Amino acid sequence: MIRQLLTLVPRRGGGAPIVPEKSVAGRTLLLLVTIMAFLSAVTLGGVILVQKSAIAWSADVGRELTIQIRPMEGEVMDSNLRTAVSLAQSTPGVANARALTIEESQALLEPWLGAGLDLSAIAIPRLVVVQLSDPAEADIEQLQRNLSAIKGASLDTHAAWRQQLNTMAGTVVLSGLLVLGLIGVATVLAIIFATRGAMATNREIVDVLHFIGASNKFIAGEFQGRFLSIGLQGGFLGALLAILFFLLIGTAAGSVLPSEATAQVGALFGQFLLGWEGMAFILAVVPVIAVLTAITSRTTVRRYLSEAS
Amino acid sequence: MPLSPGQWLGHAAGEGPRCYDGAKLIRFCAADFNRTSWEHPFLIEFSDVGLRYGNGPEILKDLTFSIEPGSFHFLTGPSGAGKTSLLRLLLLSTKPSRGKVTMFGEDVGNLDQDSLLQMRRHIGIVFQEFRLLDHLTTFENVALPLRVLGQPESEYRPNVIELLEWVGLGERMHALPTLLSGGEKQRAAIARAVIARPKVLLADEPTGNVDPDLSSRLVHLFAELNRTLGMTIILATHELPLLDRFAYPRMVLNKGELTIHD
Repeated sequence: MIRQLLTLVPRRGGGAPIVPEKSVAGRTLLLLVTIMAFLSAVTLGGVILVQKSAIAWSADVGRELTIQIRPMEGEVMDSNLRTAVSLAQSTPGVANARALTIEESQALLEPWLGAGLDLSAIAIPRLVVVQLSDPAEADIEQLQRNLSAIKGASLDTHAAWRQQLNTMAGTVVLSGLLVLGLIGVATVLAIIFATRGAMATNREIVDVLHFIGASNKFIAGEFQGRFLSIGLQGGFLGALLAILFFLLIGTAAGSVLPSEATAQVGALFGQFLLGWEGMAFILAVVPVIAVLTAITSRTTVRRYLSEAS
Repeated sequence: MPLSPGQWLGHAAGEGPRCYDGAKLIRFCAADFNRTSWEHPFLIEFSDVGLRYGNGPEILKDLTFSIEPGSFHFLTGPSGAGKTSLLRLLLLSTKPSRGKVTMFGEDVGNLDQDSLLQMRRHIGIVFQEFRLLDHLTTFENVALPLRVLGQPESEYRPNVIELLEWVGLGERMHALPTLLSGGEKQRAAIARAVIARPKVLLADEPTGNVDPDLSSRLVHLFAELNRTLGMTIILATHELPLLDRFAYPRMVLNKGELTIHD
């Protein structure tokens, strides 16, 4: 399709391409660019997934506070819970506050203590979940001050946890960008070698063009057009394969992994859904790879021609 | 009297390129090539020119000669005498080790790469082994120098077609070089060499890959280019029968030394 689109672009001076459309070096370079574009797009997609999930997590967690009330001698837990709920509800920026029932609290402990235990005899800490309508406007300090009147009450804003999450997401994003950079360098090096190979294969064409008075700029332009075409085709194929990869892995994660694992993976990566924005980023790999291929090959061709003359 | 290209091809006399003012085909008229249009008395001047590659022996020694615009010279001599090296100097693809080469009134040694490139566009070259690009049709091969100059196809197409018809390849313009005979390939190569109106046409053993009868016809074609277009031609050959058949001055190279026989 890309090749057909390229045929619509008017050639300099018209006529058939001076550098043959098909050559062994061209096919090798196409495969190479496709692989590099695929790796770039998958890395970029992974970075986008992690970042999207981290932002979503951070936003979700940021909208919720937890008040913990530890059992204390001489204190009535139910009364303290009601007081905490009403204090929270009267705080500006709080949408609602709800004390977890004893059953819900027991369910939270089940993963650690096991199911089927009678916890009624044990005094366990109780939680009040506070939903914020607007985290920026919520007066958390006021709530904290008010809660100090309740013995054994403490407020958890999850700040430390969010910071850890942001640090982890930032590390993953930075690592992804580093990998992208390395793929870029590897792509440039591979294109240089492939271009020099293609130039050697087409030496006769270069000689003839020189003899008929073509400038190095003209010859480089002819080769650049050829390499731009390869870059566009390879970039498009690589991006398409990467999109298919994400669609497949999303489907596979849902059907192959057990439901608990799917939930965990889903929590981490958001069901592998890149969304339109992610797709757009992956498709942006196409022009980047094409331009990278064209610029690298043009520089290589001009250096080759300078050496040759 | 030499045959016109039309007669050479078995056509009626006068079927050569039509030259008239104001038409696109003006490029093939003699006006651009005849000696009165050139302000310098000599197109090419060599003065004590020597050439050696690296630290090797001197291949060309003390060459001093001049070539008038519109002239035709044979360049001859035994194998290894330095014919190809002299053609390389004339094609500006190498520089002399010593001495001075002047072309079109300019000292070649003082020219930068861009100026050398501009000058090279006034020099056409025909090789023994044709050197056509196999993936391009005959038409596309011949049009190549005009594409290099940035002309659009709509502009150069009629000129290329006319020249192809003139050299007898009108019916073969869409054929790939691999489907052409040796003589057809060489005529295509000649058309490619002259399509951009060079002032000088160099030919390196252009008859080396064709039979003797065709050799003579090809030299007739060069003679016609010289006669009708006033193109300056230097044709390297070691075929003695050709030299005897055509009464043009001979530049004879022997062990790197040159003598000219009028």
